[in-house]
Amino acid sequence: MTLIWGGLALGAVYALVAIGYNIVFIASKTFNFAQAQLMMVGAFVAYSGLVTWDLPWPLVVLMAGVVVAVVAAIEERIAIRPVKDVHNVLVTTLGASIFLDGAVQLIWGSQPLTVPFFGGNDAVTIAGGRAYPVEIALIVIVILLVGALVLISRRTMVGLVLLGMSEDREAAQLRGVNVRAMALSAFVAAGAIAGLLGLFVGSKTFAVSTLGAALALKGFVVLAIGGFGSIPGVLVGGTLVGLVEAYASRYLGGEYANLSVFLILIAVLLARPAGLFVRSKERVV
Amino acid sequence: MSKGVNMKNRLVTLAGGAAALSLVLSACGSGSEDGASSDDYKVIVLGGIGGEGVLADNALTSVNSAQAGVKFVNKSGGVDGRKVTIKVIDDSADPTVAVTKLREAINSDKPDLVLNSGPSTVSDATLPILKQNKILSFNIGPTQTSSDPKQFPLNFDLSASAGDQIQAYLPYFGEKGYKKVGVLHGSSSYGEVFAKSSEEIFSKGGLEVTANKEYDVAALDMSAQLAAIRDTKPDVLVLDAYGAPLGYVLKGLEKLGWDIPVIGNTSVSATGIISTEPPSGVLGTAVVKNLVMQVYKSTKFDPAATGVNNAVKTMKGIGPIKATLILAYNYDALPLVAAAAEKAGSSEPADIAKALEDSSVQESADTVILTRYNFTADDHAPNPNADEFAFIPPSKLKDGQFQ
Repeated sequence: MTLIWGGLALGAVYALVAIGYNIVFIASKTFNFAQAQLMMVGAFVAYSGLVTWDLPWPLVVLMAGVVVAVVAAIEERIAIRPVKDVHNVLVTTLGASIFLDGAVQLIWGSQPLTVPFFGGNDAVTIAGGRAYPVEIALIVIVILLVGALVLISRRTMVGLVLLGMSEDREAAQLRGVNVRAMALSAFVAAGAIAGLLGLFVGSKTFAVSTLGAALALKGFVVLAIGGFGSIPGVLVGGTLVGLVEAYASRYLGGEYANLSVFLILIAVLLARPAGLFVRSKERVV
Repeated sequence: MSKGVNMKNRLVTLAGGAAALSLVLSACGSGSEDGASSDDYKVIVLGGIGGEGVLADNALTSVNSAQAGVKFVNKSGGVDGRKVTIKVIDDSADPTVAVTKLREAINSDKPDLVLNSGPSTVSDATLPILKQNKILSFNIGPTQTSSDPKQFPLNFDLSASAGDQIQAYLPYFGEKGYKKVGVLHGSSSYGEVFAKSSEEIFSKGGLEVTANKEYDVAALDMSAQLAAIRDTKPDVLVLDAYGAPLGYVLKGLEKLGWDIPVIGNTSVSATGIISTEPPSGVLGTAVVKNLVMQVYKSTKFDPAATGVNNAVKTMKGIGPIKATLILAYNYDALPLVAAAAEKAGSSEPADIAKALEDSSVQESADTVILTRYNFTADDHAPNPNADEFAFIPPSKLKDGQFQ
């Protein structure tokens, strides 16, 4: 059971990154390579708030959310909006991720920093397995977040507008949707979520300048397995990737962990090229 | 340290680092500023001081130690009666930059000695140039051939190999009564070498290696590998880890509730969290209660170790020591060269290289990071004796030494 808790917690972290990818993708059909770095910035801000300034954790969570939302907004204005060709956004957001990696290293250094968790830092026994409180918190958070986002997308005007933009950006524009403002809002929302969760992710992974790079690739795999644009898909993708990584490390060896994850990805994409939760569309030409 | 001043201290450290960097570059940017003349014994030290984060800290310590070594030998009459001058070249730990700048330096004013602060990629790129120009060199970033005199007769490696370090575990394990060993190592190239050497040396030493498991250095949880090793019931866990992976391993051990002695290699000792108290680090907490690290004896402060303490004092006078003293090998290069030149009665590279293979020279050289370098005619690796190492619990780091 310890292995399952560990795998689920790991999958939850990857899924949280993938949720950020998805929010931006749904709103603007672009892929923000710096999403994992935004979460990393959130972890560092949480460290500063909790350790350096000794602030209460609710304030730290809010502060990290605001700071990372602002960083995301700046990224959108500098690295996304001025770019005419959508394909070039891959390069500019990659540049933004490299910039953020360098910036955190300059400000906080390259050694890992401990982010204390308000729910306790000692391992506990749950359902016959051992886990840290933050690992359980991450699993709960990702389930609640996916549920909330699904509700928002189906029950609110903002959600319907975003889905409409995702289906056909021009049609949404013709219906009076301010697509630029919505794209910026989605970027800021994805940044805010990354920031708000920085404390939780940092408590599991340490605040460390290599965190963005470590999370980016697995977050992308989770996204591809679940399907680009599918919020519930990240839950399944995250669970699959986290458990496969944990079990492969345990029974095959650490050198086979990534290999096993990518084999699963290939198998899923061969069976369902658009991911598990997205249907492929046929176009009449 | 008060929590409230952490960020301020970070900024002060950054500013201090920048100031130290500028001091290093301005004070030693060229031999002429040190009053170099054509008769001086000219030394170049390559280091990635313009690199990022911990790499820059390591390089700065290497460069600082070389400058301290120069001061030390000049006080004792220099090399073969020649005053030693030193020039610092910032190669950004980039082989391309290192090659370009080294060629420029050789063409403008050929040095007598080059000290290479690593990494191995820089050594790989620069050693052929040094060989072509018949320049004596010492190297901190060993490559597969750098210590082979047939390939590079004028080069000597200063840093101990993974095998040398693991060899020193055997007497310690004998003393503690450990017979079954589990090994956990990273997927880095050093980690792979560490794993292979561990398997070979422990088996030859009569120990049973119950498991030898790898983790991806980008992974975020090592509990699974630890659980697999635990099932094999070793007496002790030997650990190769640096940076965040060390934290994940320690967390994994606590999560599993596995109460086993852990012996960390020198990479473990170089990771900041184990020498930092909570809340930033884990020093003094339950997760490190079973951890012992392998270090050089010189990396542990000893008030009676006059030579090391004088070297540290000289280094501090040049700039802050930001990495552990294990990166200060360059200090030893200068007394080695001075002793070899005295024995040879010459400062010609070939004569010094020949003398460096002489055990009486190695014995007489006033080296401090390692007390003895065992170069031979067939092997220019340091081959340190097992008693050069110590196994210590984590403690605070001050001026590159554990207290």
